[in-house]
Amino acid sequence: MMVVQVKKVGKMRVFWELAILAFQRQLAYRSAHLAGLVTNFFFGLLRAAVLIALYGAREEVAGYTVTMAITFTGLSQAMIGHLSLFSWSDVMRSIYSGEIASDLLKPMGFFSYWLAQDAGRALAAFLMRSVTIMFAYAIFFNITIPKKIESWAALVAALFLSWLVSFSWRFLVNLAAFWTPNAIGIARLLFGFSWVLSGFFMPLNYFPNWFQQIAYATPFPSMIFTVIQVYLENLSGFQLLQALMSQVLWFFILLALIQVVLRAGIRQLVVQGG
Amino acid sequence: MKMTMEDEKEQPAIRVRNLQKYFKVFKHHRGFWGALRNLISREYQIIRAVDGIHFDIRPGELVGYLGPNGAGKSTTIKMLSGLLVPSGGELYVSGRIPWKQRREHVARIGTVFGQRTTLWWDLPVVESLNLLKYIYKIEDRTFQKNLSEFKEILDLEPFLDIPVRSLSLGQRMRADLSAALLHNPPVVFLDEPTIGLDVVAKERIRQFIQHINVERKTTIILTTHDVSDVARLCKRVMIIDHGHLIYDGLLEILQDRFGDDRELVVDFAEVYTDYSIEDARISQADDLRITYQFHRNEVTASQLINRLSSKFRIRDLSVREPEIEATIRRIYEEGLLEPDTEK
Amino acid sequence: MLSALTLYRRLIKIQIQSQLEYRASFLFDLAASIFYFSFWFLSIALIFQKFDNLGGWTLPEVAFLYGMVEMSFGTMDLIFSGFDPQSFGQQVRLGTFDQILLRPVNISLQIFGSQFTLRRLGRIIQGIVIFGMALTWLDIDWSLVKVIYLPIIFLSLVCFFGGLFIIGSTLTFWTIQPIEVVNIFTYGGSEMISYPMHIYQRWMRQFFTYIIPAIFLNYYPALYFLNKTDPLNLPPIAAFLSPVVGIGTLFLAFQFWKIGIRHYQSTGT
Repeated sequence: MMVVQVKKVGKMRVFWELAILAFQRQLAYRSAHLAGLVTNFFFGLLRAAVLIALYGAREEVAGYTVTMAITFTGLSQAMIGHLSLFSWSDVMRSIYSGEIASDLLKPMGFFSYWLAQDAGRALAAFLMRSVTIMFAYAIFFNITIPKKIESWAALVAALFLSWLVSFSWRFLVNLAAFWTPNAIGIARLLFGFSWVLSGFFMPLNYFPNWFQQIAYATPFPSMIFTVIQVYLENLSGFQLLQALMSQVLWFFILLALIQVVLRAGIRQLVVQGG
Repeated sequence: MKMTMEDEKEQPAIRVRNLQKYFKVFKHHRGFWGALRNLISREYQIIRAVDGIHFDIRPGELVGYLGPNGAGKSTTIKMLSGLLVPSGGELYVSGRIPWKQRREHVARIGTVFGQRTTLWWDLPVVESLNLLKYIYKIEDRTFQKNLSEFKEILDLEPFLDIPVRSLSLGQRMRADLSAALLHNPPVVFLDEPTIGLDVVAKERIRQFIQHINVERKTTIILTTHDVSDVARLCKRVMIIDHGHLIYDGLLEILQDRFGDDRELVVDFAEVYTDYSIEDARISQADDLRITYQFHRNEVTASQLINRLSSKFRIRDLSVREPEIEATIRRIYEEGLLEPDTEK
Repeated sequence: MLSALTLYRRLIKIQIQSQLEYRASFLFDLAASIFYFSFWFLSIALIFQKFDNLGGWTLPEVAFLYGMVEMSFGTMDLIFSGFDPQSFGQQVRLGTFDQILLRPVNISLQIFGSQFTLRRLGRIIQGIVIFGMALTWLDIDWSLVKVIYLPIIFLSLVCFFGGLFIIGSTLTFWTIQPIEVVNIFTYGGSEMISYPMHIYQRWMRQFFTYIIPAIFLNYYPALYFLNKTDPLNLPPIAAFLSPVVGIGTLFLAFQFWKIGIRHYQSTGT
């Protein structure tokens, strides 16, 4: 039975410290991010070309003009870096290595512990990559920029919420590691689905209605497409509110799932004598 | 030139003449702008890892190769095994140039690098050995004979079916040794084969090395930080420092020349203000126990004891001979040997 | 030569055995892989419902390009697993590459035999299905030349991307960390040639025609197979340059690889 010393420091303070550390750590990876930027830009160019070719002579399809479509490609690339959507396996690694034992003994919740770190990481990545890529796009292409001030406010909210949802999702997926040694395989599959269903690959509007319904029944659009729609000012007042509420709802759903799964997972761990 | 077994036995097993290895170390700038500067500016420093060494090693010798960290030991071994191309000089192992005739050379040497394994990580040990049998084209008879011999001496049986990644350090080392000698190489390089092992395991490995050297007349170069390995196994020792060979000869002679330090540990009966005596210096002082160091060719132990007992009241004392480790350390730290520049 | 092939077979067999050991895991990964790649193409197919063509190309015609790339990239990824810059870079970093130099076996052979990621079969299977569907939908005017040329295109693509992998791995001798820019050429390049190349901006097209001639790998042969006019008006020989680009890239890659090994041997790590 280990005795844990709990410092008389507020939980918020610890959260803040962890976030700052993660932020600084991420800044050290500047050169990796630069390389990532180049990659993002290339893929953005590619997808933009495909979309322009798809449009052909048409000026608008499913509510998106050509300019919006091009802006879309930049935005979806911008969303990759800070959301770490393509792979995030820190928690499963912690579970497999046994480090989780000490993580769980920390004075703050396990989820909050990782949330804090991801906050720092995501913010650093956002500033280094997401913002930069939109600037590059603005120089290279004719893109749209939100005109109304409400849109910018909504954008900030949507960005924050999308991060919460994506983090909760990634965290939940990682918890599979409690039960299977092949959590990485499961993660790969699920991350793969999220690429299309989140509206990252192509705007969801282009898909038939039944497909869109399937997509919106998942948390994925809340991670990426909502932000894009808000930026492109493609949502009416009511739709905008709906979208943001969706994000909040999904966050709480995932959070609830996490509580349940985490508890079961820890029990599993203890039973196995981990 | 095709080498025959006879040729291998005739010549010196290893011949090194004026071997040199220089590294260009580019000045590395930090940070983002630094990365750009790295591309443009090419400022560098030349590091002379091995700066002209000569030696011959005859077939069947078991030679220790010592030196402080960064002295050039592993660089030499890398060149001998063919991993690194020398910057200058000549190097022959069994008449071949290692890096030039890689495949033929490598087929006739054995290597153990203490820090890494030579086996396949995920395979059971016996599978690795079987694969090596195929790679080195070992005859079945030889393979079986060697395998049973190693099984017996190194006690491989308990872990032959375990993948290498699950082995303890001692087990892995034994497996690596078996792998290195499976194909009966006439020349073997052992780089830190006992590192991290406990005393019992070390002894087992040492016995094995000695057995191989005596029974098969295998030429062995043993690189190690553990000087007791060398003390136990090697008659001849080479010491490298800052890229130069500062000693190449018998271990006894080395001990004789430099092992003239002695320690006198004295337990005093009461406290004194000044414990100093002539011809000895105090190296340690703990309450009533004082350790003196002296050179035995300057003053004898009995002389010192006389001086001490005439000045102080003593409860107990003992004389300590230096270990070879201390001698070697002294050589490094005090730069007691200069490279022999005439050869 | 024979013993080299036998050794390769043995090394691969070991790889396969250790992966099949976790059968459930493997089957799951395989199914997941097929599912995931198919999902990607499915979404493209769905998009085609709103737009009916891509730069004048119909879905089956795009599928011809797309399926061919998926089959060959997947096959390349399987065979050249050992040369994946990510994993090879790790070998160099950890120093396990030395072990390869210390064995009396051809270095490249050892690298080829060091990994054989069976999971890649998923992408290959998906590619075969898509390409097969494309062939049945399309009304191709088959000739003997076309029948013989088809597998050649496949092999050329495998060689081309394999060459890129080798180049990426060789670079790690200098940079230690694999450089991400290589991903642009491998994963970016494969995605790019999955679509008809006349849709891309002029400078991009020209780069991939004259500097890295990827346009001849897939696009020009497709024009030939699908009987389409060349919007860029190159001579008809352009359709048959695929093997030249593929094998040429692989050849150059191996030369670079040899230089890389020489560099490694003179500087160590």
